[in-house]
Formats: sequence, C-alpha cells, structure tokens
Amino acid sequence: MTLTSAPPSRPPARRSGVARAIRVRSLPGRIRAFAFLVILALAAVFAVSALAVQDARDGLRVIGHDAGPQVVATGDLYFALSDMDAQLAAVLLMGREQNLGSGRARALQVYDQRRSEAHRALLQGSNLARNDPAEQQTARSVLDALGRYEQLAGQALQLDQRQSHAAGPPSKEVGDLYTQATNLMKLDVLPKAYNLTLDNGTTVRRTYESKHSEVLAGRAWVLLTGLVLLVILVGLQVYLAVHFRRLVNPVLALATVASMILIAATVGVLTSEADHLRKAKNDGFDSVLSLSRARAISNNANADETRYLLDPALADTYEQVYLDKSQEILYVPAGNLAAYYKQLDQRVAARSGFMGFLGTEAQHVTLPGQKAALDRTLRGYQGVQHDDSRLRSLATTSGGRHDAIVVRMGTASQHFAAYDQALVRLTAIHQKAFQNAIRDGDDGLSGWNIGLPAAAIVIALLVLAGVRPRLSEFR
Amino acid sequence: MRVGRILGAALALAAAIAGCGTGGGAKSVAGKDTLVVGVSKDQPGLGQRQPDGTFKGFDIDVASYIGAHMEKTPKNVVFKVVQYSEREKAVQTGKVDLVVSSYSITPERKTKIAFAGPYYVAHQDTLVRRTDTAVHNVRDLSGRRLCAVNGSVSWQRVTVERNVPARLVPAATYGDCLTKLTSDSLDAISTDDLILAGFALENNAVRFVNAPISDERYGVGIRQDDVTGCEDVNKAITEMYLDGTAGKLLKKWFGKTDLKLTTTVPQFEGCG
Repeated sequence: MTLTSAPPSRPPARRSGVARAIRVRSLPGRIRAFAFLVILALAAVFAVSALAVQDARDGLRVIGHDAGPQVVATGDLYFALSDMDAQLAAVLLMGREQNLGSGRARALQVYDQRRSEAHRALLQGSNLARNDPAEQQTARSVLDALGRYEQLAGQALQLDQRQSHAAGPPSKEVGDLYTQATNLMKLDVLPKAYNLTLDNGTTVRRTYESKHSEVLAGRAWVLLTGLVLLVILVGLQVYLAVHFRRLVNPVLALATVASMILIAATVGVLTSEADHLRKAKNDGFDSVLSLSRARAISNNANADETRYLLDPALADTYEQVYLDKSQEILYVPAGNLAAYYKQLDQRVAARSGFMGFLGTEAQHVTLPGQKAALDRTLRGYQGVQHDDSRLRSLATTSGGRHDAIVVRMGTASQHFAAYDQALVRLTAIHQKAFQNAIRDGDDGLSGWNIGLPAAAIVIALLVLAGVRPRLSEFR
Repeated sequence: MRVGRILGAALALAAAIAGCGTGGGAKSVAGKDTLVVGVSKDQPGLGQRQPDGTFKGFDIDVASYIGAHMEKTPKNVVFKVVQYSEREKAVQTGKVDLVVSSYSITPERKTKIAFAGPYYVAHQDTLVRRTDTAVHNVRDLSGRRLCAVNGSVSWQRVTVERNVPARLVPAATYGDCLTKLTSDSLDAISTDDLILAGFALENNAVRFVNAPISDERYGVGIRQDDVTGCEDVNKAITEMYLDGTAGKLLKKWFGKTDLKLTTTVPQFEGCG
C-alpha cells in the first residue's frame, strides 16, 4: 500500500473535507479512518437490527395483542347474539308446554345470560377497537340495533305468554314480531359482528405477511452488515499488526468477538421471532379464526332448524339456508339434505373427501391433542345431522310435527350442545398454541430495547479503546 | 482501495438480498391497471346491454363502485358478457378478473373459485303468467314446465333440493325464459326475486308468486388464490353500504317494485 494513491473517482471536494478532517494520508490518519469505518459499520448493524426487531415487535403487537384477540372477542359476540335469537325462537316454539327439553324457564334464563355476554363482548370489542373509528362506529350501530332487537323480542315474549299456545308456531301477531326481530338480527346485527371478525382476520393476515417477510429480510441485512463490520475489524487488526509489529490487539479482538456474538444473537432472535410469528399464525390464529366462524355458522344453522319448525311460510328458505350453512361448515358434494347426510357419514368415516371449515381443520393436524378433539367434534357434528334428518322426516309426516318439536327441544338440543363444546375445546387447543407462540415471541424480544444499543455502545468503546494507545504513539 | 471494493461488493450483495424479499405470488386484481368484469347482458335492473354496447343495471353500478374503490378510472373498468354456464371457467382462466352477475355463492362453486361479498342477498321466487292462478308455492310447480337456464342453480333448487318434479325446459338466458313464458312454451320461471322483479316491471302479462324458497347471496367471483383482491372487494362493499350508495342503488333499480329491500351490509363469505 502506498501512501500517495487516492482513488481517482473520489471527488476533490470530499477529499478536502472528510479526508482532511481525518488526515487519511498519514498512518494515524489511516487508523482513524479505519476506526471511523468500524463505527459506521457498527451503526449500520445497529440500525438494521433495531428495525428488524421493531418489525417483529409490531407483528406481535397487532397479531397477538390487537387484531388477534379482536377475532376472539367478536366471535364471542356473534355467538352470544345468535344464541339469543336461537333461544327466543325456542321459547316461542315451546309455547305453554313446560316439559319440552330443559323447559321455557331455562331457555329464558339462557337468553338473559347471552344478552349480558353480548353486551360484555361489545364493550370489550369497542375497547380493543379504540384505535379504529370505523370499527367503533360498527360497534355502536350493533349496540343500537341490539337495543331495538331486545325491545321486539320482549314484546313477542310478552304477547306469546299472554296468548298461551300449544307447542308449535305461535299466533300471527307473535310470529310477525318474531320475524321483525330475527330479521333485524339476521340482516343487520349478525352480519356486522361477523364482518368485524373477518376484518380482524384480514388485518392479521396482512400484518403477518408483511412483518414475517420484513423480519426475514431484516435478518439478511443484519448478516450482511455484520459481515462487513467483521471484515473491517479484522482488517484493522491486520493493519495494526503489520504497522506496529504486534500480533494481536486484545481490546480490538474483544470488540470483534463481541460483534460476532451480537450478530449471532440478533440473527438467532430474528429467526426465532419469525418462527413464533409463523406458529402463532399458522398453528394458532388461522384455526381460531376458521373455527370461530364454524361455531358462528353452526349456531346459526341450529337456530334455522328451530325456525324451520316455527315459521311454516319460510320453512323452505330455512331448509335451504340450513343446507348451505352445513356445507360451509363441512362440505361434501350433495344437492339436497338427504344426499348430504349420506355423503357426510361416508366421507367422515373415511376421513377424506370433505372440505369446509372442519375439512380444512382435518387437513392441518399439527398440535398435541388436536386429533382427538377433532374426532370428537366430527362425531358431534354427525350426531347433530342425524338429529336433523330425524327431525325433518318427522316434521314432514302428517301428525309428526309435535314429535319433531320434542326432538328439537330434547336430544337435538343436547347433541348440539355437546358438538358446540367439542368445537370450543378444539378451538382452545389452537388458542393455547397461539398464546404460547405470542408469549414466546414477547419473551424473546424482552430486553432488546436496552440490550441492543448497550451492546453497540460497548463495542464502539472497545474499538476506540483499542486504537487509542496506537494513536497516542504519534503524539 | 481494498475496503472500498469490499464495501462495493457488499452493497451489491445487499441489493440482491433486498430484491429477493419483494414480489412473489400471482398478481392480485387489486394491482391491475384494467379491471375486466364479467356481467350478464339480458337481466333488466341487474345487467343489461344497451343498443349502444354499454351496460346498465345494479350489478353494473356495483362493479363500477368496486372499480372506483380500487382506484380504477371508469374507462379502465371493462365489462364483458359471460354466459351463465361459463362463469367459473371465465374466472379460473383469467378471461375476466371479477364476475358481478347475480352470481349466487354456492358451496359447489366455492370449490372452484372464491367469492367476495355477498353484496346483496336476494331470494328465489317464482314468476308465472298472470292468468295462472293455481300456483301458490314451489310445490305447485309439480308437473308444470319450468325454465332451466344452463349454469344456473335456480331450477336445481326446485327439482333437486326441494324434490319437486317439474318438467324442465332448457333455455340459454333468463331473457329467453321470459319470452317462452309469455308465448306459453313453459309455465314458470323460478329464480332470484331481483331478476324476476325486473321482468314483472317490464311485462304486465306475468305475476310474482311471492313465496321465497332460498337466500341467494350475490357474490363477486374472483380467483381462488387472490385473497388480497377478495379482501379489497369486501372493503369496497362495506364502504358502499356505509356511505349509503348501496341503498341509493337499490332504490334506483328496484324502488318501483314491491320487493322489501335490505340496505344493511350482508354477512360476508370471507376470503381464503
């Protein structure tokens, strides 16, 4: 290396500025230049590390603490709302008969319980949505519509009790009030709650896609800038060894080792953060979302079964939407319900050839206990459909309507509750995987806000401490 | 200088790495310059081709709104007629980006394509000649001649889902069905009330039975892997209801009919 050569491409202006400042032509000047480069590279490592760590933190916050929990809250809201309407339909269908299923009093009790659950979920939902004006507006309009619903439901219940009818469709006035109430629920309230769940699902998906890839890209940048830092550090070491005839500068060597540790640790933490995000999304969140939707649709379909008995004028429609919803939950190719029951049993027994929410779940078994919980859910679902088949064939034979109502309020309602419980347990397995992944992700990042800058400062001080004695030899 | 060369090489490598991080996946319709929308050509009130080659109807207005929401200029939203029986294929092959054509979301169709929306929930009902007073509900179609449009699910809801033994008379479009109904070549058309309402408005010789048998959720057909595009369409539909456009459009196209119109946002199917 000659002392005179300077790259011809370097603009003269810079030489007169920067170059003069660090007096690059002299030996101490070169050492200073090296030290300057080290600090520059270190700053780059620090910057890309901090950015990538921030990306991971943002991902965890949105997925784990914001939109993710919102999915659960809005799912609970949907369930409570749709079960309110299901209980109302059940009470009106039972009429004055006291010994159908768990009875009128119990159904009214559940109705009240769901109502307060709905209010609680709405409150929680709007708390979580405090950063999103559109979601807050939706939460408010759901609350308004729910108020109107409760009023109509109250009127229907009161009138129905006064009129005291046998089990079966209530009087026309009560029926009209119920139709108004259920339409409000079905056309106004429930869609909003369901779309909120979907919106949050979208937020999680998009956040995951961007943050997961940004964390991985950030890791590549850390590796790259880290490599540059190490090369310069080693270069400085060699330069000092050549010019001062010493084999190793121990302080600089320490800085090099510290840098290696920092880079390795950062790459390691980013790798595991990306993995935690992936696990939270793929093993936890995706299933929580689709099973929440399955639960919402199931509960709604179950209520459609009651409405089928309650409102003969719309029985055809209620049967069609029941089939439609059943196929959304578990799809097998079938043009009508009779074919659906048959195909369902065959394909579930074979554990293949079915799609829909439960089909997707069956194709992605990764967690301990998931298979057993899934099997219970599928068995439960089959049980629900067997009851449905029995109930509809009773309802369409002459004189069988009352028997159909007995089935609906008795075994069908018990079997549905068992299926719902199985579904809830299956969801809980994914929920746990989700929470664990988020917690691991949070834990992995704890301390990095202080650790990262502290490490960078320590390394910078080591570098300066390493070159200072050499520079002082020139004073 | 050696360091300079190393830095230069490092920067080149860094650029390469950064380059790898972007892109990937099939293109979403959201990012396309021109949006090609499959529509129908002979459904009054929904999608109807005019003599000058333009289209008008509720579906057309909805598609335009979605296009505008995706920041396409009106010129860049192109309408293309798609036959009923070819709608899934048109989406799958990319012949059209979206289908907005009184297209009911069904579990069977969902195995082939995805649906954004629904942007409206219609109900299947029946249209008969005004002189035919014996039809009160779908079961009365037993033995009657029912219009069967190829690729439509409506007649299947009668003969397969409800097991009503109607005699099927094939037709290419619902426009055809109406011609055949009024000329006595068939006895009933059973399909979505929005379609039938348009016919009943234009034609005095037919009668609406008013006995709904289904929820027909009108979706926006989109490629199955385009989750982003599907979500964007849902955003547009949500916005369309929030800002009151949906209500105005429904009133504009169906306000004169007796249909009870729903002006709150439907429950979406969900993307992906």
